[in-house]
Amino acid sequence: MRSGDVNREMSATPLLKIENLEVSFEIQGGHVYAVKGVSFSINPGEVVAVVGESGSGKSVIAQSILRILPRNADITAGSILFNDPNDNNEAIDLVRLNSKDQYLYELRGGRISMVFQEPMTALSPLHTIGNQVQEALVLHREKTDAQARSETEEILRLVGFPNPARGYEMYPFELSGGLRQRAVIAMALICNPAMVIADEPTTALDVTVQAQILGLLKELQKKFNTAILMITHDLGVVANMADKVVVVYHGEVMEAGSVHDIFRRPRHPYLKALIAAIPHFEMEEGERLVSLRSNDADQSNKTIHKLAAKFKAPDESKTKGPHLIVKNLRKEFTSTKGSWFGAGESKKTIAVDNVSFEINQGECLGLVGESGSGKTTVAKLVMRALEATSGSVSLNTSNGMSDILALSGPQLMEFRRRVQMIFQDPFSSLNPRMTIQNILSEPYIIHNVGTAQKRQADILDLLQLVGMEPHCLNRYPHSFSGGQRQRIGIARALALHPELMVCDEPVSALDVSVQAQILNLLNDLRKELGLTSLFISHNLAVVNYVAERIAVMCQGKLVEIASKEQLFANPHHPYTRSLLSAVPYPDLDRLLDFENIKYSSSMEADDWGDVYKSSQDAGLESIKVDEGHFVLANCNCNISELRP
Amino acid sequence: MFSYILKRILYMVPTLILTSILVFILIELPPGDYFESYVNELRAAGETVDPKLIEYLRTEYGFDKPIWERYLQWATGMLVGDFGYSFEYELPVNEVIGDRLFFTIIVTFFTIIFTWIIAFPIGIYSATHQYSWGDYGLTFIGLLGLATPNFLLALIMMFLANEYFGTTIGGLVDPQYIGEPFSWGKFVSVLEHLWIPVIVIGTSGTAAMIRRVRANLLDELRKPYVTTARAKGMPEFRGLMKYPFRMSLNFFIADIGGLLPTIISGAEIVAIVLSLETTGPILIQALQSQDMYLAGSFLMLLGFLTVIGVLISDIALAFLDPRIRLQGGVSR
Repeated sequence: MRSGDVNREMSATPLLKIENLEVSFEIQGGHVYAVKGVSFSINPGEVVAVVGESGSGKSVIAQSILRILPRNADITAGSILFNDPNDNNEAIDLVRLNSKDQYLYELRGGRISMVFQEPMTALSPLHTIGNQVQEALVLHREKTDAQARSETEEILRLVGFPNPARGYEMYPFELSGGLRQRAVIAMALICNPAMVIADEPTTALDVTVQAQILGLLKELQKKFNTAILMITHDLGVVANMADKVVVVYHGEVMEAGSVHDIFRRPRHPYLKALIAAIPHFEMEEGERLVSLRSNDADQSNKTIHKLAAKFKAPDESKTKGPHLIVKNLRKEFTSTKGSWFGAGESKKTIAVDNVSFEINQGECLGLVGESGSGKTTVAKLVMRALEATSGSVSLNTSNGMSDILALSGPQLMEFRRRVQMIFQDPFSSLNPRMTIQNILSEPYIIHNVGTAQKRQADILDLLQLVGMEPHCLNRYPHSFSGGQRQRIGIARALALHPELMVCDEPVSALDVSVQAQILNLLNDLRKELGLTSLFISHNLAVVNYVAERIAVMCQGKLVEIASKEQLFANPHHPYTRSLLSAVPYPDLDRLLDFENIKYSSSMEADDWGDVYKSSQDAGLESIKVDEGHFVLANCNCNISELRP
Repeated sequence: MFSYILKRILYMVPTLILTSILVFILIELPPGDYFESYVNELRAAGETVDPKLIEYLRTEYGFDKPIWERYLQWATGMLVGDFGYSFEYELPVNEVIGDRLFFTIIVTFFTIIFTWIIAFPIGIYSATHQYSWGDYGLTFIGLLGLATPNFLLALIMMFLANEYFGTTIGGLVDPQYIGEPFSWGKFVSVLEHLWIPVIVIGTSGTAAMIRRVRANLLDELRKPYVTTARAKGMPEFRGLMKYPFRMSLNFFIADIGGLLPTIISGAEIVAIVLSLETTGPILIQALQSQDMYLAGSFLMLLGFLTVIGVLISDIALAFLDPRIRLQGGVSR
């Protein structure tokens, strides 16, 4: 039985009751309704999740409660009844209050507080953590400075600051993302509010940090019996956190109910489609994601098949063996403190540390790791966008294995045709001042391929290949959605018939439904064109969907590499295991073990067992534990020690 | 922090040496020298000059020496406060400038204060009430101020002041006080005259300042930390002052560096129209008549003030913005 059920029986009146809420935005030439008649309620101590894609109006609902909507937005109808358990008065309709009403100022931060998505921008960079966290306390409870400080340090300790007194004095940019979000949570909880609104509280965080933050929220919610309104797009987070779920789409509630009803018996087609669009770990071999607004997937499949021959990389008689071999790759970044007098101190950061892997022909290798683990640096080194400090990268060509890092001049130019990249952010990876026509013809111009007529024909075929219409050629990137832009980015990458494709987080900036479309497209293209690919992602489920083998990176080192079946069934390295255990599944039978995550986090190398650390007389080495399954460990260790 | 300031002061030395070389080259660049333009002027007036006298003066002032020697003499002189000799005024440069510097600083000081007092409240209002009638109206007035030529405004103001308040035309004091020692009457007279140049010079600066305060504050108002402050129950005005306004001040502090040199060289044309006893008109005249030491010293002073100004803004920025102070993992 969940904590919310108990409370529901105890208190008949809900803490917050939203009825027929309508919010309109004034935009040039009219009004747009972002929220169209939404109703739901939250009981004291209950966790309610509002789920939806971007633009569904879920954040607007949250802002309406605190009445902190942007100036061009207006609540046009409905009511938000807040029944403060601390006083016995009647419920207050927050919508009816004047925007300058003193009660609203006391409510905000005092009775209902908020946790934001992006902890870096949600905190002022110019004020210390302590100053910002205790602000609500100073505003709502009359406290002396000394009292406020001791209470602030207490709450910082509670949210897991290792040294609260020091944390109080620090500035946000001095903290890691996880600690920053902990500070934001401390800020929300310091006045012991009746309800916390958490707007995508873990979306900007790495998966292991996300699990910890979710655990922290859950723990504090139980401790203080605070209600949480959780706004998220991630059904995995919902399954692990919520008692009740409200699914919104285009400002309307599609389906609402207990978390059991939602996950065990989804009724509304939108919800069913949403669940089907998320990659999960139990997918059958060859099973496709069902995109939310699928535009006849079979048709596009046929198009790809038809055009595949044209865009295949030119056949070469390649030697047998892997397509790409990366050996002992190392990249150091030196940052020198600028000084005109003397050399200045230089600081060395090892971004990629002795990384070796191979990718077979036509294979997709997934590269997984958290931010800062060095995965993008590896991609850039393979692309020759960065120069490696040492090590080798070699590509299988008709002349045998050729060392990419030694290429220069015309050979380097020729290599560039063979390897292409798909970028993470579809908004900044397309030049806003070039039309799609210009963007797609640029590769041909740079490499001086074909005549003008031939290029034009190729460009039209490219568009068809990625499922776009020819009439968009004269438009600029800003007139396309994120998914369409990513298609254009893919088309640009395919223009030169590459044989190796490096995908750097290609779907992490996209909504679930669009993500499914793009993943399906990439999968189809890869199979039809026989592309070898390196697929970088922080999302294990996505990697599981596209990749055949998976490599895990941590702090610049490649700690484990195996086929995806081996990796998921039998992870060896403590980091891999903590990564896998931190993924929130949209499945009520596989909930996160918050207790375990809290006490046995293995993100820090210090926590790993001795066999995984280098010792004075022995360094780290990739050790074979199974066919095709390698783990980074002390080279003196016994293989039996590595069995988990 | 201390080592940072020390380093910054050390950087100033090569900068200033380079500036002095550039200044000297610049004032040497035009063909001829002061004496040549002096002779031309006299000839144009129909008078004759004794070439021997000119030749004598040239040797006297060291114009026959090689350029680097003259540079060294000038540059080392400046180190001990000797800025050379003004041919036109037949006085040491120090004495020519010294008198007027006082009035210049008074005018500029009041102008800057005037600009801030007007620009900040209006800029904040415009930003927080973006696209309202108030914003449009104030912006319109501000742009009018920016678009009106200063000398025209100066003439109009001078006329109005004379017509309605009986203030004497031109200058910073009534004629009776010129050359007099400072007294209460002179002080009142200065204040009576001061408001015209302050308003005239201030209007254009104010308009530009309003636009910049507005633009910078608008950028900050869209940041999520503003929503955070609102969600904490921060009263609107206090929140505005504590977070976005303080953030938007960075541009303004960085600007102080640019303000210092305008103390002695801003608003020359207005000063000429209003016949203010400030340094601006002297600089223009010195450049016209190739009075090289006077002009050179002026330019050097401008360079020096710029460098000092930038130093002050850098230090102030480092104090106010922890990101600058603690960058690069500096321990504290």
